[in-house]
Amino acid sequence: MNNRYTRRQSLKMLTAGLAVTLLPAMPRLAASEELLQKRFSADKTLPVIGLGTWQTFNVGTDPKLLAARTEVVSAFFELGGGLIDSSPMYGSSPDTVGHALQQLGIPDTLFSAEKVWSPAGGSAHEQVANLLGRWKLEQFDLVQVHNLTDWREHLAALREMKQEGLIRYIGITTSHGRRHQEFEQILASEDIDFAQLTYNITHREVENRLLPLAREKGIAVIANRPYDGGRLIKGLKRRNESLPEWAEEECGCSTWADFLLKFIVSHPAITCAIPATTQVAHLRENMHAGMGTMPTASTRQKMVNFIESL
Amino acid sequence: MIFGSSYSLQDFVPFTADIYFRLLERMGETYWPLHLITIVLGMVALWLVLKHRLRLACVLIAPVWLFVAVAFFMRLYAELNWAGGYIAFAFLTESALLLFLALTGIGLDDRSAKSQASFVGMFIALAGLIGLPFMGLLSYGSGLRAEVFGIHADPTSMTTLGLAIMISRGWLLWCISLIPALWLLYSGLTLWALGAPSAKLLLVVLFIALTGLFWKQLELSMLKHESHDQN
Repeated sequence: MNNRYTRRQSLKMLTAGLAVTLLPAMPRLAASEELLQKRFSADKTLPVIGLGTWQTFNVGTDPKLLAARTEVVSAFFELGGGLIDSSPMYGSSPDTVGHALQQLGIPDTLFSAEKVWSPAGGSAHEQVANLLGRWKLEQFDLVQVHNLTDWREHLAALREMKQEGLIRYIGITTSHGRRHQEFEQILASEDIDFAQLTYNITHREVENRLLPLAREKGIAVIANRPYDGGRLIKGLKRRNESLPEWAEEECGCSTWADFLLKFIVSHPAITCAIPATTQVAHLRENMHAGMGTMPTASTRQKMVNFIESL
Repeated sequence: MIFGSSYSLQDFVPFTADIYFRLLERMGETYWPLHLITIVLGMVALWLVLKHRLRLACVLIAPVWLFVAVAFFMRLYAELNWAGGYIAFAFLTESALLLFLALTGIGLDDRSAKSQASFVGMFIALAGLIGLPFMGLLSYGSGLRAEVFGIHADPTSMTTLGLAIMISRGWLLWCISLIPALWLLYSGLTLWALGAPSAKLLLVVLFIALTGLFWKQLELSMLKHESHDQN
């Protein structure tokens, strides 16, 4: 195994760990170039910006695009990234991540997050075994039940695999605001480590019940669709909308990526957001949002008011 | 608020625009200069239709559908989209249908090449054979990125749909038009979701083709009615 990043990433982790130890759970951090980490269990932290792979990493066997996505993954780890999220329903995305990891080596900071879902074929055991092969890993950090498909059967199987040491954490996912009632029931009644759901500045329904419940139960939360499938950030850029001056003064926003992502990851219940991108430049923007000062509760409200006024 | 919710067409397309266009480009790179042969095949097929050699025209087009099914859908597109395997099967079916027409002559109507609706068919066929590749050439300045009959699915479907309007009648008119028309719809919606301007072109061509199909059906019905009157 090529541990190309090990020393550098270990130093970063050490620094980040120190920061987490010294700071309260939801800090207003002093400006810094380190990616903010959030605690998700007694002794574990995750960088607040992860990497999604829906649509963007589904490149098949195209050598040119595989190389381009490898560059994205490389920049992600160089900037202190950790969580990469994929799914068997994302076409060749798991293979693309596997290709990148094979090229770059597996950094210590990698937090591999996959999913199982029923239409993917095979049992949860078979799916996880297949996906491990595609990622070229021996263990997943997190496996989630995709969109609650057959969640009872899948969760039972994932628990077995957790006991066997094939996976470290288990979770459930939903997106687009679907099946929140059932999601809430599972959060309340099942012993799970992670919940993945849609949360962004225009889709805040989860603030009412799901996020408080996750916080109460100590469940880590991954926010998917941070840009609402790209529409949010593209819409703002297309309108040539300028960032409000207070956004820079109060939480160091210099781009719309900063504005939209800082809003998400500054929620006390959110562990990390997983924007997806095909470009290193956009990835750098995304990662920058996880650094420096985070908005306070009052600034977050101003952010919502601003977006709603558009 | 300017930002609405939630599901959109885009959420059902499992890749981004750059990935899809790169896929089309790879077809061009991989099979060049086969393009020259497939375009000539298409032109000869159109010429044969105008010369009432309909069965021979079908013989020329059938293998093209087989090639696109295997080389594009099975080999490349299915890597990105689970639906690719099913679409490949549909393209193979179209190839078999064209071969059936070529072998049996059932459903072929050489009189119809002179019908007014057939001009619509010819327009669509030429749009697929010449218009689409030419547009690609103008847009990208490279033949490898242009979509070409016999290599890519859109111009292949467009040309075949045009020829179908020109050569077939009865239920087989609809039978051999169904798969190309459905692909144009699927492809048009995919391109729409990806924000590609060519989506509108594809959907307009499909609309014109459907108009041509109904027109052709009407012409055939009127012809049948007239022949009954004469009897």
